[in-house]
Amino acid sequence: MGLIAQLLVNMLQIGAVYVLFALGLTLVFGVMKVINFAHGQFFTLAALMIAVTMPEFTERFGFPAWVDYFVCFALALLTVAILGVVLYFVGFERYLRDLIGSFILSVGLLLLLEGVYLWIFTGAPRVVPKLLTGQVSILGGALETQRLVICGIALAATFGLYQLVNRTKLGRALRAVAEDREAAMLQGIRYRRISFYGFMIGSGMAAIAGGLIAPLTAISPSLGNDYLSKAFIIIIIGGLGSIPGAILGGFLIAAVESFAGYFLDSSYATIAMFMLVMVFLLVRPQGILGHAER
Amino acid sequence: MRSARAGQIVVALAAAAVLAFAVLGDDEYTQHLLMWTALNAVLAVGLRFMLLVGETNIGTGAFYGMGAYMGAICTTKWGLPFPLALLAGGLLAIVVSTGFGLVTLRTKGPYFMLISFAFTEVVRLIYTRVEWLGGNSGIIGIFPPQALDPWMSVLTFLLCGGLILMMYLCEQSNLGRVFRAIQNNDAVVETVGIDVVQIKLVCLVIASFSVGIAGSLHAHIYNVISPGDFSYLVPVFALAYIKIGGDANVMGAVIGAAILTVLAQMLQGMGSLEHVLFGGAIVASMLVLPDGLLGGGRRLLRLFSRGRA
Amino acid sequence: MKPIVKWAAAALMLAAAPAASADEVLKVAVFAPLSGAAAGWGLGAKWVGEQAAKEINDQGGIKAGGKVYKVESIAYENGYNSAEGAKAAQAILNRDGIRFIIQGIGTAPVKALQSLSERQGALMMQVAWGKSVKGPQAPLTFTNSNTPFELFGPLFDLVKKQHPEVKTVALLNPNDATGHEVEEEAEKQYRARGYDIVAVTWYERGTTEFQPIATKLAQTHADMMDLSGAPPGDSGMVYKELAVQGWKGVKMQAAGTGADAMVKVGGDAVEDVYMGNAADFGGPAATPIQRKLNEGALKALNEPLNILQLGAWDGLMAVKAGIEKADSIDPKKVAKVLPTIIFESSYGPTAFGGMETYGYPQQMLVPIIVTQIKHGQTVEIARIIPAELEQRLAKKP
Repeated sequence: MGLIAQLLVNMLQIGAVYVLFALGLTLVFGVMKVINFAHGQFFTLAALMIAVTMPEFTERFGFPAWVDYFVCFALALLTVAILGVVLYFVGFERYLRDLIGSFILSVGLLLLLEGVYLWIFTGAPRVVPKLLTGQVSILGGALETQRLVICGIALAATFGLYQLVNRTKLGRALRAVAEDREAAMLQGIRYRRISFYGFMIGSGMAAIAGGLIAPLTAISPSLGNDYLSKAFIIIIIGGLGSIPGAILGGFLIAAVESFAGYFLDSSYATIAMFMLVMVFLLVRPQGILGHAER
Repeated sequence: MRSARAGQIVVALAAAAVLAFAVLGDDEYTQHLLMWTALNAVLAVGLRFMLLVGETNIGTGAFYGMGAYMGAICTTKWGLPFPLALLAGGLLAIVVSTGFGLVTLRTKGPYFMLISFAFTEVVRLIYTRVEWLGGNSGIIGIFPPQALDPWMSVLTFLLCGGLILMMYLCEQSNLGRVFRAIQNNDAVVETVGIDVVQIKLVCLVIASFSVGIAGSLHAHIYNVISPGDFSYLVPVFALAYIKIGGDANVMGAVIGAAILTVLAQMLQGMGSLEHVLFGGAIVASMLVLPDGLLGGGRRLLRLFSRGRA
Repeated sequence: MKPIVKWAAAALMLAAAPAASADEVLKVAVFAPLSGAAAGWGLGAKWVGEQAAKEINDQGGIKAGGKVYKVESIAYENGYNSAEGAKAAQAILNRDGIRFIIQGIGTAPVKALQSLSERQGALMMQVAWGKSVKGPQAPLTFTNSNTPFELFGPLFDLVKKQHPEVKTVALLNPNDATGHEVEEEAEKQYRARGYDIVAVTWYERGTTEFQPIATKLAQTHADMMDLSGAPPGDSGMVYKELAVQGWKGVKMQAAGTGADAMVKVGGDAVEDVYMGNAADFGGPAATPIQRKLNEGALKALNEPLNILQLGAWDGLMAVKAGIEKADSIDPKKVAKVLPTIIFESSYGPTAFGGMETYGYPQQMLVPIIVTQIKHGQTVEIARIIPAELEQRLAKKP
């Protein structure tokens, strides 16, 4: 019982961040028809920014760690937003709905930004000070308290996005554009503006995920790469552009990582994930909840 | 028709020029630089070949790797003659790509792109777990026969040039016209009674065969291979060659491969700056020269001729 | 046979070319990852190589064949994989005509360079582990610091003495060339000492989420966890998660090269970890040269020096001693005399040995340093002089 509980706890906790990361990627794809290989760079930047600014902040003002964390988190989101605006207007706006063009552009950005981060922040791993001490036990599965809190925030952010997409006017516009751009434009939705919002929200999700993972891991400029390849798997399984699909896929991949990682081997778990995707595409090429591409 | 002949002449001239360089340039390093360029050119043209039917095949990296592994095994483990090792690389790529294509070509666009990405990563991870393939250390000591040493660069050029020419001629033939029709609108092609999936499969197999042979050459030129050499970054760089050179025709891919291969060597040893400059070159060319250097050059020429008239 | 003659001729010409000019420069190469996850090692080795060259030049350079050579150390990026390594090898040997490599880091790229350097008659000092890079078939390849084959025996003996209660061990390694080589030797040495190995686990380099891995390890309830080949940052994460999941036992990182990142990431959870390949070059056991270099590294790189980086110093010093003894800059002649001489390394007088293990004397005999993390610091608990070195030094009058 203790073991299964531990594996489930691991799955939920890893999955919450995967979902957040993949949601951004799938949203950007849905609206812009762009697979953004540089998505992980927003994630990495947010985590790096927190790791760099937080010690400075603590030294200067001496607030409790969690206050510093939230201030630095906000600062990190702002930095990512600025980067997002620049990348959108200088680059992605020209390659909307151009799968190959945007792919190359984003791969160029992936290399460029990783190099720049390495240059500025150096390759040595950084850590964020502990926010909360202590640990909790859920049905015999052990978990740090701060992981539990962060997992909760991630789930809340996911729920928030879900509400935004389903209940607000902006959300309806995003969905309309994702489903049928021409029809949406005929109804008076301004495509360019909506795609900009979509890109910023998607990149923001990556930044939130990065900010949340910061206290839990060692942060280096290549942090995002591991998440990016898993997020690809997640959004294929869930169906490109599908938000519920990304949520389902995120937890599925987390389950594979947690259970296959235990019963097989962590390195076989990675192979298992890729295999899963290929089998999946055979049976259901449009993903669990995706629509067939026309 | 005229442009087609012009293209052929350009290809022939370029081949002759590099051939001469290969024979004349006695410097070992220059010869290797030229061989790397030739291999990268085949990769770029092979990737572009699949783009003709509108698909981004990241699996190019996997087929290149299979060719390399097959060639390495033929030479180091089975002791087969060098030409057979080359051919075996191509044949394995044909066999695997046929299976891969039959299964995956039912999907297209972003799905095909991501599934071929997953395929490349799976294949790479499998190499690392198979002891017989050297696991993560890879295979070392893959040498072509010593008598071939002085001729290796010439041979590489002839072979790579031949593969590029083959793909070029396919593109110029009726088959190439069907490819482009599929790229434009596969539904229309379907209505004429052509099996789109079958044509795409043919396209995939031709490209994979070329890339597989190039992979086997790679193994014999680098003398060592390891799983890390065949990640998804291989086709990603190839795509950069195409875009920077210009994707309108084969020569763009070749020129892009030449420029970036030489640039990468010049940046050797600069650490993270290498990534910055390489990524920067890709981004800059996407922003400033969306149709690549060839397209930019052509526009420049047109501007001049208009000015004169 | 002909191409080899041609190459040898070219090599000689290239090596001899600087001799014609007024200032004679001997270029040597550091071959290491300068970007990516392992960049820290490479940048450190690059810096150490430059310091060693400066030291030699300040003392008047290298003398051979009636000439005096100034040394220039150049770093080449090997990308930690064989394709990049093969390209850098071409640049080193054929573009820049370098005949002496003073430090090569990374098993896959080192093998790529070796397949060319042995063929072209260039001498390589390197730290790649694994027996396959050494032996009579590779007479121009030397190793300039300890590898698991030297380290694990003495290290495990010491830990067994300190913790006789430990019966079971679980192993975790990254799934790459280095990881596999480390694991094989560790398993052998543990079994030889009667330990029960309860799990052998692998993970992909670049993994960021270590909870599932820690769960798997914790469930084995092993008395000792050996994360031998894992990078320090990764081990910090694993020990942290292990602590959360309630595991307590002896912590071992048999091939661990440094505590800095591990402590930063793991905090209290990495207290008392044993390391076999780390050192405190600022501590009392270090030699004056090592302390000076360590101070410089802290200033220049913001990181203390580690053993792999220091290899560049000892590699160049060995090359210098070999050239002067052979009275020639022909790499083959230098390689012939290297196993016979005793020279001054950063650890003190040293020689090459390892005939028994490798079938060829190409392993630099330097002390085995056992360290433990105490209060977040690397503390040396033993510097064990290899028996073979003691014999060699005793033989010398």
